[in-house]
Amino acid sequence: MQLVIASGKGGVGKSTVTASLLYLLKDEYRFVAVDADADAPNLDLLLGVEHWEEEKELIGAKVARINTESCIRCGICQERCPYDCIKVIDGDYVVSELTCEGCNVCGLVCPVPGTITLEEVRSGVVRKTTTRYGFPLISAQLDVGRPNSGKLVTEEKEWAKKLMGELGLEHMIVDSAAGIGCQVIASIGGADLTILVAEPTPASLSDVQRAYRVVQHFRQPAYLIINKSDFNPGFTALREWAETEGIPILGEIPYDRAIPRSMSMLKPFVEAFPDSKAADAMREIAERVRKEILK
Amino acid sequence: MQIAVSGGKGGTGKSTVAINMTIALRERYDLVLADLDVEAPNDHLLLGVELANEEPVELFMPRFDYSKCTRCRKCAEVCEEHAIITMRDGTPFLMPNLCSGCAACEIVCQVPGAILPGKKLMGHTYLTETPYGFPLVTGRLLEGEERAMPIVSRAKKRAQALGKELLLVDTAAGTSNTVSKALEDSRLIIAVTEPTPLGIHDGELILRLAKLMDIPAMVVVNRSDLGDVGRVREIAERYGAEVIAEIPYSENIIRSYVEGKPIVLGDYPEAGIFREIASRVVEFLGGGE
Repeated sequence: MQLVIASGKGGVGKSTVTASLLYLLKDEYRFVAVDADADAPNLDLLLGVEHWEEEKELIGAKVARINTESCIRCGICQERCPYDCIKVIDGDYVVSELTCEGCNVCGLVCPVPGTITLEEVRSGVVRKTTTRYGFPLISAQLDVGRPNSGKLVTEEKEWAKKLMGELGLEHMIVDSAAGIGCQVIASIGGADLTILVAEPTPASLSDVQRAYRVVQHFRQPAYLIINKSDFNPGFTALREWAETEGIPILGEIPYDRAIPRSMSMLKPFVEAFPDSKAADAMREIAERVRKEILK
Repeated sequence: MQIAVSGGKGGTGKSTVAINMTIALRERYDLVLADLDVEAPNDHLLLGVELANEEPVELFMPRFDYSKCTRCRKCAEVCEEHAIITMRDGTPFLMPNLCSGCAACEIVCQVPGAILPGKKLMGHTYLTETPYGFPLVTGRLLEGEERAMPIVSRAKKRAQALGKELLLVDTAAGTSNTVSKALEDSRLIIAVTEPTPLGIHDGELILRLAKLMDIPAMVVVNRSDLGDVGRVREIAERYGAEVIAEIPYSENIIRSYVEGKPIVLGDYPEAGIFREIASRVVEFLGGGE
């Protein structure tokens, strides 16, 4: 089974919850974990990963380059670039590598053949390790300023699938990126179900509703975990929304200082502070995941 | 003139800093705030306003006139996204989800009228007046659409078109090219981070992007009592950025956030921190004298 943890809004505790869930499930299930937040991968930090066993460069992004020698400075490329990525610097037309999407429109409209070429560049790395908890982790790191392509996530999931076959693993657990863009779509697409993590604030509600629409788009079941559940007692709209949509709530984790403290120790909070109230709540959630999801 | 608030990791308090800083700066500058976190825009919620003046962001999407198409396959060959597939006889089909709207297919098509300009709705931009005397421009990607870049680009243009003295940009998390697009043309980046290992890791990435883009950066450490600020200082120093403020974890900030009342306007001691950030910005922009 392939399950995804998503949230829409960043910083609501998606990776923290994922790390603890993985920790609680590790003895009973055989799975591979995938950190699909290629912009800002953090699961490895939370699981205390110190080195990678294998690393692959992903060459996939494309960037246009203008040869200033043959360029006749007609400006058509700049005019037609759909994303305003071409600037004039000291009289030369230059493609901004940090914003180019690699669509090649500039190359197609350029009247001087060979002046604008599309070059392949590195998008980032995909890497694998075995965590100290015994399960493998696939992670990725997008290079700064690259097109935020879901391709990196797709590559990660391919590798994870291969590993499942090689090692005879039953499940893939994917920690998605924040937002609802290409990385999230690549994470949710092809999965069996999504667990949403949200906190009781208007911003988190708004973002998790958007993430849920992506889940619906793929016709998948969704579950909800409410993090920092006591942090805004008057706010009931998150629970009401889940009830209206018929999204089962797997559990609620109260705000607990044990969580930020466990982060600086680079350990899942259920491991670092097993007696905390957050850990109690997390164990109940893991129990429901066992009974209702992984069975 | 443009400055940006960014920060690598999600949920570090970018929007809180952006909003309070904007409110503190509005007395000095005629300004506009642009929420370019188009996958998860929240500034309007923090400001307690409903999005208004919706404008669609539509992208070009090819429509084929099969009576004119010569089945030459050029459109499929040129499509970098592989959004156009062809049947055995060369008949092209579009997979709309993959189409980036770049119009390369239309450019190479040699038969006039074989490719018609269809449109695809990608999201919206909004222009909302706030009760604080400045407008908010928001970009919002449609759920199920993957491409944030056109929305970022269009929302930014809409904000620029207002011709204000100062444009404040609130970016998405991460360091992908949609963040670079938002940061582009900034005179200064305020990088908001947390002193946890995660915050430090992601904060360093945004400083690296700032360096690559040759934009000066200043660092604001949020939830400064939850970790080691010394480590943030070390990294900031390595990138030539100064730590200009430390905001402790605060119930007051959470309370005002939840109530939709920007903290900088109240009497809580934390308000002073945001006013100080604003005055450092004014100083940097040369408006202090």
